[in-house]
Amino acid sequence: MKFKCERDVLVEALSTAGRAVSKNLPGLSGIQASLEGNQLTLTGTDRDLTIAVTSQVSGTENGTAVIPARLAAEIVKAIKPGGVELEVSEDSLLIQSGRSEFSIRLITSDEFPHLKPLDSETFTLASEDLAESLKQVVLAASSDDSRPILTGVLLAAEGEGFRLVATDSYRLAMRDIPNAAVLRQGQSVLIPSKALGELNRVLDKSEKVQVQLGETEAAFEVGDVKLVTRLIDGEFPNYRGLIPESHPNTLKVNRSEFLETLRRVKLLARESTPVRLEMSSEGTEMIAVTQDVGTARESIEGTYEGSDLTVAFNPQYLLEGIEVTPGEEITLSTIDELKPALIHSVGVEELLYLLMPVRVS
Amino acid sequence: MRLIVADCTVNYRGRLDAHLPRAHRLIMIKADGCVAIHSDGGAYKPMNWMTSPNILVEEDDSLRVTNNDDELLEISIHCRISDTNYDFGDEPSLQKDGVEAHLQELLAINPQEIQEGLVLVKKEYYTDIGPVDLLCQDPTGEYVAVEIKRRGEIDGVEQLTRYLEFIGKDPDHSPVRGIFVAQIIKPQAKVLAESRGIAAIEVDYDHLRGLRRPQLSLF
Repeated sequence: MKFKCERDVLVEALSTAGRAVSKNLPGLSGIQASLEGNQLTLTGTDRDLTIAVTSQVSGTENGTAVIPARLAAEIVKAIKPGGVELEVSEDSLLIQSGRSEFSIRLITSDEFPHLKPLDSETFTLASEDLAESLKQVVLAASSDDSRPILTGVLLAAEGEGFRLVATDSYRLAMRDIPNAAVLRQGQSVLIPSKALGELNRVLDKSEKVQVQLGETEAAFEVGDVKLVTRLIDGEFPNYRGLIPESHPNTLKVNRSEFLETLRRVKLLARESTPVRLEMSSEGTEMIAVTQDVGTARESIEGTYEGSDLTVAFNPQYLLEGIEVTPGEEITLSTIDELKPALIHSVGVEELLYLLMPVRVS
Repeated sequence: MRLIVADCTVNYRGRLDAHLPRAHRLIMIKADGCVAIHSDGGAYKPMNWMTSPNILVEEDDSLRVTNNDDELLEISIHCRISDTNYDFGDEPSLQKDGVEAHLQELLAINPQEIQEGLVLVKKEYYTDIGPVDLLCQDPTGEYVAVEIKRRGEIDGVEQLTRYLEFIGKDPDHSPVRGIFVAQIIKPQAKVLAESRGIAAIEVDYDHLRGLRRPQLSLF
């Protein structure tokens, strides 16, 4: 294998494919480079997630080799901008650029898995819409591997479109994407949130994303990047039953002002200390108290309808929920200090963020 | 735990196809049925594995492991160098140093996690016989001496009893009551504490350091 290309093209491709490379499996610590004509494909995988990046290069000799991902990326990043030539000979890779020359040992390619193409229908979605939806939902998925189902994002058919749902059992984010039928009626799949996080990083590469949902895998193609992920096998919690039918108390506030207040008050919510909202018809205050550190208190402009209530939240979860909620005005709807609260954007029905309060004495 | 050291070839068929060429490897078959294949490197991660539940079929020169997802892990054994079984018995819980000190730090920051309304007066309150972990006051103004242990045993209760006797003689801090705090408190220690009017309270270390997050959950 032998080819020439711009350093920056290679830096980006190695970086993107390298994000799927296994950190623990020695046989998969490499990136498979495959050259056919002027088309170079770099593939990284940890068996659960595979990312392949195709780039146009000036090819001289076709071939395939597995190169050490981290070392190759570090070398290519370190060399001066401009042209770079790569050549594989027997068991080593030669990288030449200007006065620099590196020769690095290849990784045995026997262990590199062979990807099978998915035999399922391809759907096309607008990248921008999907990116916004993923940003709003993926954050609510759990990072706790001991509860694998909760590390996934549910993609389920809903009306004429589909729905994304994630929960870590303390909060739940749900986003509807209407008029985008990528699933059969009643069909749902559970996609690892890690894979969707990686997908979100590359969605700006093209206006469209092609989606294939198989029985055990899902594939996404965005421009020159293809991402294949294993699906999570298991039953997602019955999220519909978690959403209360009505909330008697509603606080309506300006989103930006509320966010600024929360960021200030959160400074005094140390360790696992929550922020409290004291809400009554006379006004609303946000309070954080950390023993031996101090107290923060700020009144909030807004309208409150309901009974007097003090409710506490994990400040980070509250912040993240409001950050992803669009619009100028938002509502925080509550039942009491122990039942889930709902954050909603006024006039926007597609997104729902459900948040459990924190019990305080 | 069964450990087989063998010259072997491994083929995996499932989500992806993978092939490990012939080499010396360690095959671990755990009591719960998990099968893991390790090389002499690569830190803690196996090169290939199959978690339980699965079905293991063994022949002289091969091990075939299958599961309900139609995944197949096939190990062809060319030479069996060693094959041993060990009974590991029950797994004791992981013990870590520094937990007690960290518990003290966390509870000093938030004494309300011990009991509602508690306010810290002094961390490491020194008496002539040693320091009590926390000296607090409750909403009525009564002093509360708190002794913190990772595992609550009888000797911890005895230690707190001695502190209480000492602090109780100080008119500035009398009356004083005691709270014995630990991640886990042994039943004998609880009985002894209660017989002496000392409250015995178990705390959740993960919750205190923010790992368990809010105690209320959606499901």
